[in-house]
Amino acid sequence: MRAPSWSVRRLVGASVLLLALVGCERRPGCTGDYCGAFLIVATAQPDVLLPPVTDLQYARDVTDQIFLKLADIGLSENTIGDEDFQPLLAERWEWDDPLTLVFHLDPRAHWQDGQPVTAADVAFTFDIYTDSTVNSPFRSNLRTISAVTTRDSLTPVFRFHARYPEMFYDAVYHMRILPAHLLRPVPRTQWRSAAFGRAPVGDGPYRFVSWKAGESLELAADSAFFLGRPHIRRLIWRFTPNLDVAVKQVIAGDADAVEVLGQPGNVKLARAAPQLTLYPYPGALYGFLGFNLSTGGDTTKPHPLFGDRRLRRALAMAVDREGLRKSVWEDLAHVPPGPLARLWWIWDPETRELPYDTAQARRMLTWLGWRDSNGDGIRDKDGQPLGFRILVPTSSALRLRYARLLQEQFRLVGADVQLDEVEFSVFNERVQSGRFDAALISRNPDPTPSSSVTQVWTHAGIGGSNYVRWVNPAFDRLVEQAGAATKRDEAKRLWRRAFEVMNDDAPAIFLFSTDNMAAVHRRVQGVVIRPDSYWALLRTWRIPADQLTDRDRAER
Amino acid sequence: MTAWLVRRLAAAIAIVLAVVTITFFLIHLAPGSPCGESERQLSPEVCRRLRAQFGYDRPLAVQYVKYLWALSHGDLGESFALHRPVADALADAIPNTLTLAGAALLIDFVLGLALGVYQAVRARRFGDVVLGNVGLLFNSMPTFWLGLILLLVFSYWRRWFPLGGMSDPVLCPTLSTLRCVADRAWHLTLPALTLGLVGAAGTARYQRAAMLEVMAQDYVRTARAKGLRERRVVLVHALRNALLPFITLFGLAFPFLLTGAVLVETVFAWSGMGRLSVTAIFQRDYPVVTASALVASGMVVLGNLLADVLYAVADPRIRVRSEVT
Amino acid sequence: MSALTWLALAGAVAVALLVAEEAHRRAAASAAGRRFLRHPTATPGVFILAFFVTLATAAPLLAPYDPAFQIDIVHLQNHAPSAQNILGTDVYSRDVWSRLVYGARISLGIGTIAMLVAVTAGAGVGAVAGYVRRWVGAVLMRGVDVGLAMPRMFVLLMAVALWEHLPLAVLVLLIGLTGWFATSRLVRAEVLSLREREFVAAARAAGAGPTRVIFRHVLPNAAAPIIVSAALGIGNVMLLEAGLSYLGLGVPSPLPSWGSMIYDGEPFMAGAPWTSLFPGCAIALVVMALNAVGDGLRDALDPRKETA
Repeated sequence: MRAPSWSVRRLVGASVLLLALVGCERRPGCTGDYCGAFLIVATAQPDVLLPPVTDLQYARDVTDQIFLKLADIGLSENTIGDEDFQPLLAERWEWDDPLTLVFHLDPRAHWQDGQPVTAADVAFTFDIYTDSTVNSPFRSNLRTISAVTTRDSLTPVFRFHARYPEMFYDAVYHMRILPAHLLRPVPRTQWRSAAFGRAPVGDGPYRFVSWKAGESLELAADSAFFLGRPHIRRLIWRFTPNLDVAVKQVIAGDADAVEVLGQPGNVKLARAAPQLTLYPYPGALYGFLGFNLSTGGDTTKPHPLFGDRRLRRALAMAVDREGLRKSVWEDLAHVPPGPLARLWWIWDPETRELPYDTAQARRMLTWLGWRDSNGDGIRDKDGQPLGFRILVPTSSALRLRYARLLQEQFRLVGADVQLDEVEFSVFNERVQSGRFDAALISRNPDPTPSSSVTQVWTHAGIGGSNYVRWVNPAFDRLVEQAGAATKRDEAKRLWRRAFEVMNDDAPAIFLFSTDNMAAVHRRVQGVVIRPDSYWALLRTWRIPADQLTDRDRAER
Repeated sequence: MTAWLVRRLAAAIAIVLAVVTITFFLIHLAPGSPCGESERQLSPEVCRRLRAQFGYDRPLAVQYVKYLWALSHGDLGESFALHRPVADALADAIPNTLTLAGAALLIDFVLGLALGVYQAVRARRFGDVVLGNVGLLFNSMPTFWLGLILLLVFSYWRRWFPLGGMSDPVLCPTLSTLRCVADRAWHLTLPALTLGLVGAAGTARYQRAAMLEVMAQDYVRTARAKGLRERRVVLVHALRNALLPFITLFGLAFPFLLTGAVLVETVFAWSGMGRLSVTAIFQRDYPVVTASALVASGMVVLGNLLADVLYAVADPRIRVRSEVT
Repeated sequence: MSALTWLALAGAVAVALLVAEEAHRRAAASAAGRRFLRHPTATPGVFILAFFVTLATAAPLLAPYDPAFQIDIVHLQNHAPSAQNILGTDVYSRDVWSRLVYGARISLGIGTIAMLVAVTAGAGVGAVAGYVRRWVGAVLMRGVDVGLAMPRMFVLLMAVALWEHLPLAVLVLLIGLTGWFATSRLVRAEVLSLREREFVAAARAAGAGPTRVIFRHVLPNAAAPIIVSAALGIGNVMLLEAGLSYLGLGVPSPLPSWGSMIYDGEPFMAGAPWTSLFPGCAIALVVMALNAVGDGLRDALDPRKETA
């Protein structure tokens, strides 16, 4: 090993020398309250920086700094009524009648090219989000709004089809207002490839600076932002495809923040890093193994295995969910009693679930006719082995681990499981088109259960996000009642009953709901992480002038 | 010479064309399309237009002709996944790969040459045996695994080098100052070393053999007999003639660096052609896959061609031989 | 590890030593063998290969656990080497030593089979292209040029990623079918020089058809480069398999191959280096041994050239 270490030392020596030499050319740099460079590591880059055509988290993290909503959800994450919402583009609002919502735009609001933000922009935005050609992923969330009109240049008016508790939430939460004067010329078929999507112009606290594909993306504070100049001057995302490496970069001080730490080992490392502060927050994520009840997405053809409720129940009982959770997450996640995020107030540990009972699972499988007739350890029936494939995205190291662990647990009860480890976009495509047996899916749902559960688990989601194609009328009825309930206790009781109906039917095995932990450099103050959108409040964070580092002061 | 060159060039172009053709049919015959039957984000309407735009609903032969026609105009199409022209994506990635390959080749040849000469001089003695075995070891390990170990030792345990990436996005978003060039070099060191060390191990073996062969020849003995200093004999007389096979190595190293780079770029999060093409393959981003095959095979063929030309210039006997076969 | 496993391990070492000893004894008896032995690393290479082949064949005796068995997923993940698990456990609490032993079967198996495919194809095409001159040979060699210009990793990646659920057998076949181009050039060169020799002309004069001439007279005499490239080919395939596995496209879980073991252990490189270091060392050792033996064979079979 003589040769390599020799050359390494030489190279280190040479680079140190070079650095020392160039270190002498020093520029004064930024001083005062409005300096600071904040480097976030992300494990993937955005697809496109145009809010209506992407629901990728990585894209939303960036675009939420560039584009504003009319109003934003409060830290309470309360989605019912409008009391807890914070004004953003709209300085105030009122209800003309129970179905008519009138916003008053902040007259100071302006686009980064100098044009004012007008009611026409809001109407245009609604038109785009609901356009069938653009086909925004948020389109179904806006189906309760019948029209958006303009009363005058600062007063957009929303009309609803019906009254329900989360009307206001639906009106403001899904849409980021877009500059009509810049986007009107873009043909509706070409929104995804529009040049605007790689160099957007918005109205938010930050404006776009540069995007180096696969490497980094930089935003700069808009010093004329009408709600107050952001303290952090440069906002930079660095793309590191591997989360464990990303976390190590933060720990090594090469980056300032990461919103999730992933495996428990990383949390321990981050805790030991003196320059980091950890911020726990309730996660908005839950993960499950979904059984596809259809064949190839065709709901008229039940899946040869999973069409049978008893088989699903047997498989569900074969899985040690607590053991898996401890193995993968230690205490960073809970086993949910249904399709529930930790963030939701309807979480009820008393919900009835199927037990972990391999003996019963084996009995049930045998009773269903699945026996190991050839002694290879795999059950079979009519010459067909009991086997299926689990689809899992390679982008998620933790779900990959779940897949391997599940594979072994199913093998122990005599089921032969193969894994399809595919790239994230291929995973999405196959899950959406129903071309899978079982899939390890994770949902990063909205702050509110009603719209999320409806989309993913009821009849309304067929052809949409109900990837497992499970429909149960009793469940659908209970969800509808729960969403319409005005009292929290009442709603919580209804939700619990709904999930008990679901657990009985076992369309999925609910594996984890995460309790997240963000790591942020200690010099950053006023850090508040909002569970549904980590960096939403970043414009209020600051780095005190006496704690600025050389990196903070550096000019671009 | 000119006729020979033209023939070689034509052959090179034909080879690249053949590779592109094979790639084109390979991916189009594969199951699964970017616009699945019932994809949620893209309505059937949009998908239909997309297909029409990219020509994916036409017969394969028509698509192929269309593709070649566009290719002859320098149009590589538009990436599905990146939402931008393929040419732009390539323009971002190719310089990065060339930087890495260039640095790696430099380490490969300089280190390989030095070790080869040293080993030849000390042939069969302790230093030669040890270096020979160490070289064999480096030549025998998976390149990406060596990368992982270097990363573990020099980035996790000793924080001498960055944990992957190409630059410090805060201090050096662009290569504007000398300091940023140094920053780039700092990020480049480990990946280049990984590729370079493995390459150097092979180069040293070749070089050692070539040196031994030359040093056994008469004119070297003559030079020694004339009383020239050993250092001069080795470095001037022997080395100069032992450099000839080196040219072949240069051509051979090209594809090695490219394929090695696919994995090493992944290990070090280096945004070059390797990562671009791997991601494109995983995402079924057909236009990018075909274009990367074009670039990759182009570089291989170019490397070989360059080696042939250099060889022909250096040693006319070779040209004659290659004309015979 | 039980006493029985230790005993089996000692047995494996003994078998490997015996094989190396026997090889050494036989080699010393012939001139070619002595050229082989001139390589100081050739005999240790034989020992290493014999050891790993023994591991592969006697895997059930040597592995204390089922390689897929997750011993205790909560308490025994990424456990450092101990008396219980001499090479530690991986993140799924599987015994690394057991996986390494069974992995020898798969990694060496893939290497050998793919090499056989490659050498057969390479020798066949090379012989035909060298013997039948005219246009057949020219076309074949242009095909080989194209094959050499396609980065092998790239082609394999495309095949594996685009065709889902590719069976392992097909993958191995593909690895073989993308690896014969260089061999065919070598063989062709050898055949070109052989076809003009007297014994070939004699066979032809005796009325032997081209097939017979190629397979009975030409190829056996071109065996030396074929054998050497076969030895090196196994190593190349093993490195390739490791690379594919690193991208998540190798043998399907839970089958252990050395490459897939590195892939599984890579995220825990810093905290549990044993999970990916040992399989990597195994690959390096075997490939090194193959290279050493290949070098020795080259000298043994081809007295004209001397490299050491």
